[in-house]
Amino acid sequence: MSLAAEAFVSQIAAAEPWPEKATLYQPLKEDQILLSDSASSLAVQTFLRMCGLPVQVSCCANAEYMSPSGKVPFIHVGNQVVSELGPIVQFIKAKGHSLSDGLDDVQRAEMKAYMELVNNMLLTAELYIQWCDDYTATEISRPRYSSPYSWPLNHILAYQKQWEVRRKMNAIGWSGKSLEQVYEDVSQCCQALSQRLGTQPYFFNKQPTELDALVFGHLFTILTTQLTNDELAEKVKSYTNLLSFCHRIDQTYFKEHDRESQVS
Amino acid sequence: MGTVHARSLDPLPMQGPELGVQADDMDLGEPEQEEKQEVLENKDVVVQHVHIDGLGRTKEDILTYEVADVFRAKNLIDVMKKSHEARQKLLRLGIFRHVEVVIDTTEGADALPNGLDVTFEVKELRRMTGSYNTMVGNNEGSMVLGLKLPNVFGRAEKLTFQFSYGTKETSYGLSFFKPQPGHFERNFSINLYKVTGQFPWSSLRETDRGVSTEFSFPIWRTNHTLKWEGVWRELGCLARTASFSVREESGHSLKNSLSNTVELAGYTGGDVSFLKEDFEIQLNKTLFWDSVLSTSLWGGMLLPLGDKPSSIADRFYLGGPTSVRGYSMYSIGPQSEGDYLGGEAFWAGGLHLYTPLPFRPGRGGFGELFRTHFFLNAGNLCNLNYGEGPRAHLSKLAECIRWSYGAGIVLRLGNIARLELNYCIPMGVQSGDRICDGVQFGAGIRFL
Repeated sequence: MSLAAEAFVSQIAAAEPWPEKATLYQPLKEDQILLSDSASSLAVQTFLRMCGLPVQVSCCANAEYMSPSGKVPFIHVGNQVVSELGPIVQFIKAKGHSLSDGLDDVQRAEMKAYMELVNNMLLTAELYIQWCDDYTATEISRPRYSSPYSWPLNHILAYQKQWEVRRKMNAIGWSGKSLEQVYEDVSQCCQALSQRLGTQPYFFNKQPTELDALVFGHLFTILTTQLTNDELAEKVKSYTNLLSFCHRIDQTYFKEHDRESQVS
Repeated sequence: MGTVHARSLDPLPMQGPELGVQADDMDLGEPEQEEKQEVLENKDVVVQHVHIDGLGRTKEDILTYEVADVFRAKNLIDVMKKSHEARQKLLRLGIFRHVEVVIDTTEGADALPNGLDVTFEVKELRRMTGSYNTMVGNNEGSMVLGLKLPNVFGRAEKLTFQFSYGTKETSYGLSFFKPQPGHFERNFSINLYKVTGQFPWSSLRETDRGVSTEFSFPIWRTNHTLKWEGVWRELGCLARTASFSVREESGHSLKNSLSNTVELAGYTGGDVSFLKEDFEIQLNKTLFWDSVLSTSLWGGMLLPLGDKPSSIADRFYLGGPTSVRGYSMYSIGPQSEGDYLGGEAFWAGGLHLYTPLPFRPGRGGFGELFRTHFFLNAGNLCNLNYGEGPRAHLSKLAECIRWSYGAGIVLRLGNIARLELNYCIPMGVQSGDRICDGVQFGAGIRFL
């Protein structure tokens, strides 16, 4: 969208309050969704919970094709459709909710840098493991991705997606990497995050920001998803402060919140 | 005993010297008119040989069926008639550029005195013909390449290939047709295609990649086609502003269907399943003063099988200059934010009076292609909530009927297409329908 159109749209969006029936769309949870999409979806859900905005999660087999940018998750709010964490954060900001208002410019720049690190390292590593590792692709990714479709469409779509991801890996120079190198990269990324987190409850001390939501989304999903082996989860587990960070956010925003809503 | 040339069935005088019968060639006696007539009309003949000259790659066995009838002719008039019919049959195979008939007396050792030889001189079509066109329209330019290979293996098989490369979309089609030797009406064809379409009235874009096989055969007096089709269908939004209902239908699906005039999808696989029927009836009656009264009725129903709802690409659409006039293209019925979603059942009827132009300008020539046209159209399109019984369905289709009336001019293009310019007054408009009252222009092949 052009700059003027974007400004116009965000003005319109800002005028409306958050509706009751906001919905978040993702692929089918049990059979279809893959690690990378699940992580992105959890990041958005966590961010919305941190902002105190209620949202319903709806699972559709064609969520990826419904999305205006082709990536999941996306939210349907009023008559606006917004996909991916970055634009969603902007959209929420236009409505007057923001988690990073309390940060000064230096901190905000730092936050953006770490978010880029997670996207470039963790997300890319997840995609690599899913689609470029032959064993994982054959055992997990292709069967899951194509589960809602009948033969022969399931094979066609699964291979199409695999080629697309491999081309992307080629373009960013990851195709030459071996699986071991990718695990090393994940480890280094976790080390950087762990150092930044230190002993604080959140990355920017007391208040959670979108960075916390993003890191939680990826790390928690890695820890709780069963892959062909446990190496990825082990890399994360070796950093105890990250483990307790995930546990803390899960407790605060998911378990307790659900308990509260059950009681009320 | 002289030579008779029969070329096509040009009107032949039965008497006189044009026949090429020279008096001095005849062995018989007096060249009397009556006797000549007797020779030609009543004399028994036997067709001894039928030759087909000029064959290259065509195999003879398929042609024997087409010319077999000629042997049964008993007299000369019969021979000429049956030769003409055989010539038509050879031409309809679509493998010859032209066919000439030569009827001659038999020569040689086994020649009977009343024996005739019929020779078909044929010229085969070229092995491959191609065409190249460029098309511009609707913000898109495209290049269309066509290739046709008639009579590929010698038994009237036809292979056609068409490829369209455009600035926005690419489509192609490959088709192979084979008739049964001896029974041209029984044939089958296999098609492979990729087709893209844009439907701005629903903000929908559709890409179909499919393969289909068709069997055609005549049963008694009707022609039946049995078709199996497997299509990989991809739906998407045409614009960022498409309504959410259309967005929800985006994605891929596989349609596997069998159709006669009724289409049954889903029993042989795929993830789209439904039973679809539609029909068209038209009755015409000529009235006084060269005017024609025409009534037509269309209807259709889509019954989803299983629990999946019907897909937007399979539903019926109604409205526009070729169906219920006075409404915008396909703009009747269920819609969401301006995008028309189609319906699972519809009916439409039209009553037309066609008269020649007033004062008949250009009578006998160009003016004959035009007609003035008074019409009354009505129709309805809706979704049905199954399980309520047929009475509820009928009453649903009978409430909120859209109708329109008006007058205009029709131009006939060839025997196929029509252009219409009408002044329409739409009535019974429901909220959500988009109308085009006043002057409406329509071009097409199939009109209500």
